[in-house]
Amino acid sequence: MFKKQHALQSKSEIALRNIVVSGTLIFYLIFLIVPIGIALVGSFHEWNPLDGTYRFLGLENYINIMKSGDFWNSIWNTILFSVVVIFFRVGLGFLCAYAIFSSLIKFKGFYRAIYYMPVVTPMIAVAYVWKFIYHPQIGLLNHLLGTHVNWLMNANTALIAIMAMTIWKDFGYAVVMFMAGLYSLPEDAMEAAKVDGCTGVQLLRYVTLPLLKPMTLFVVVTSIINYLQAYVQVMVMTEGGPGKATYLSSYIIYNEAFVKYNFGYASAMAFILFVVTAVLTVISFRVSADKV
Amino acid sequence: MRKRLVSMLLAGCMVVSLCGCGKTAAGDTATDTTSTDSGTEEAATEEAAAVPGEVFGDTVQYDPNVPINNGEDIKIDFWEWGSDELFQQIVDGYTAIHPNVQIELVNNPWEDYWTKLPLALDGKDGPAIFNIHNSYHQNIVNYCAPYDIPTEDLEKDFNGVAAHVIDGNVYYIDYGIMTGSVYYNKDMWEAAGLTDADIPKTWDDMIAVAKKLTIKDGDNIVQAGWSFNDNVNSNYLMGVNYQLGQNLFDTDNKTCVVDNDATKKVFQMLIDAYDKEGVGSKDFGTSATDSFGQGQAAMAIAWGWFNNTLQSDYPDINYGVFEIPTFDGDPYAYNRYNGESTFGINKNADEKQQAVAQDIVKYFLANDELQVKFNLAMNTFPAKTSLADNEEILSNKAMAAIADHIDKYIWPGPVPATVEDSLKIAAENVFYNDMSIDEALKTAQDTINNDLKSKNFEAVESLYKYAK
Repeated sequence: MFKKQHALQSKSEIALRNIVVSGTLIFYLIFLIVPIGIALVGSFHEWNPLDGTYRFLGLENYINIMKSGDFWNSIWNTILFSVVVIFFRVGLGFLCAYAIFSSLIKFKGFYRAIYYMPVVTPMIAVAYVWKFIYHPQIGLLNHLLGTHVNWLMNANTALIAIMAMTIWKDFGYAVVMFMAGLYSLPEDAMEAAKVDGCTGVQLLRYVTLPLLKPMTLFVVVTSIINYLQAYVQVMVMTEGGPGKATYLSSYIIYNEAFVKYNFGYASAMAFILFVVTAVLTVISFRVSADKV
Repeated sequence: MRKRLVSMLLAGCMVVSLCGCGKTAAGDTATDTTSTDSGTEEAATEEAAAVPGEVFGDTVQYDPNVPINNGEDIKIDFWEWGSDELFQQIVDGYTAIHPNVQIELVNNPWEDYWTKLPLALDGKDGPAIFNIHNSYHQNIVNYCAPYDIPTEDLEKDFNGVAAHVIDGNVYYIDYGIMTGSVYYNKDMWEAAGLTDADIPKTWDDMIAVAKKLTIKDGDNIVQAGWSFNDNVNSNYLMGVNYQLGQNLFDTDNKTCVVDNDATKKVFQMLIDAYDKEGVGSKDFGTSATDSFGQGQAAMAIAWGWFNNTLQSDYPDINYGVFEIPTFDGDPYAYNRYNGESTFGINKNADEKQQAVAQDIVKYFLANDELQVKFNLAMNTFPAKTSLADNEEILSNKAMAAIADHIDKYIWPGPVPATVEDSLKIAAENVFYNDMSIDEALKTAQDTINNDLKSKNFEAVESLYKYAK
């Protein structure tokens, strides 16, 4: 393994490299590749590991999923949720980052920390706090708005309420990423644009935004992967309700696996979600590839 | 200087958080209890467990004079969730009689228990004895050894044993039963000019009383007379139907039949209570029990566990409990119940360990003091028939409420989660998504029966004492 030796590398350095790389590979093999393989095989079975049920079904799980209204409803909700949250995460994240980046703003570190605090707070804690904020009688939101809306038990507002909470919690990540991008912009390009007489808006449109496209793509792709797996906020705030109004794909997968113990069916759903995630990620790269 | 101050503060925070971790870890992980550790400080400070000298029990008896494992030292694991002090009493009592037995009590959080336990039982090092909840019956029962106590002896001492007989064997039974009763706020009751004589016996009475207890400010409810938000499924659609003679399952004991006239009648009664009678609102409070605890609802139906919740989380609420109302005073059954189960014995454990586990089960079943303690702690009514009139039991509000008709409650069996979950969705669809009752119940029934195809479930409603 790794026999090719660079002239300047010592034997101990090579040994260390081999140990680190092999260890990482073994870790991912045991805790990622093998479980994924087991789940893939399991997706063709009726499978409950807790009572020992394991019966080959062929494609039956996949066929049933394709026929399931709940599944398509959850896919629609998941895509809607992801698109809206990503749009606001990227948009708000960029606007805040650009504002903080401005030379007019002092205490930049303070603002960066404030925006990033919700990101490092566990989702489960944030979700519980926001559940209280949305409470129809004692919630802060109704108190501020002077309304009596049951935000989380109204099919028209429940998913929006979850999206709003998720945007609030997560957009700080985009703020920090865009600030990193803004600080790494080539100063000569910015200076040249200013010398050429660019206004602030032109500088933003024709220089800053194009140069930030790699960072934007990174935030969008990581967000797609993240939000297609969104689960905790639904579990805590609505349990998929009212009815099935806030069913997201990951919530159904959890429900099938750990409530109904249909591990085979849940594995098949997880693989479909995996494919959807991969396709959307590739599309994001393709769309941006010629522009980055 | 400032950095040093910040460093010291952070270090202090870390120490505090580590202390917190330590405490949590101690509470969540294994608690080792060693009978032979009688010289420890802990043992010295606690009252020593009494050692009975004589045989005790009714039909199922325990003889403390018979040595276990020929008096040779043996160690077993006993898994449970969340009730260390309660289970410690079994351990202390048993090991006082048999000091050669070392029992390690292992407390797993409920969330982990049901994934860890089957996997542990599948191996060689699983616990010899473990606590069971019947909602996980299907995942656990295949790992259980049958009790070596004659079924007829169990039936003489305990109610509901027949429902637990599988192919002539018993793997666990109920030591207590829990069901839904009405919790009412006594202060609100008094403020509305109501007395004990007003305690409702029928649903019509319940609505009339609830109207008196409801307070509004214009169109807005300030105090709900009766709330059933978030528990329509478990406390009404899976219980009140029995009052009208309607089971949850068909006569084949496998097909769910929640789409029926009786359940529709119950559903309609609840909708009318809110929409026509105005005793509460689907948008007033997110959960009936939370609203009751927070002093926003005067009445709520809840199961026995709520008695504990009120005492621990809402100690200022002055409350009483009465039996669930009926439609005509003479119901087929009052409500559904569920049991708190006795312990499972690991069939894959070493034979000697299994023998000790069997002996512990017998000790527990024969021991009235433990039966009372467990039932009081769990707010369940004793399944042991000889304890039905026990003063301590009847001094508990939740148990006193159901004592008079304890034989008129039905257990449908270890119903898979899909029944409760699908009816929860049905209730939310009707109350919040404007779906008709007919469509909601039909959808729920179809979902349940589809899910049940892969389950080996058989209802036991036909074993009800007054089954038609």
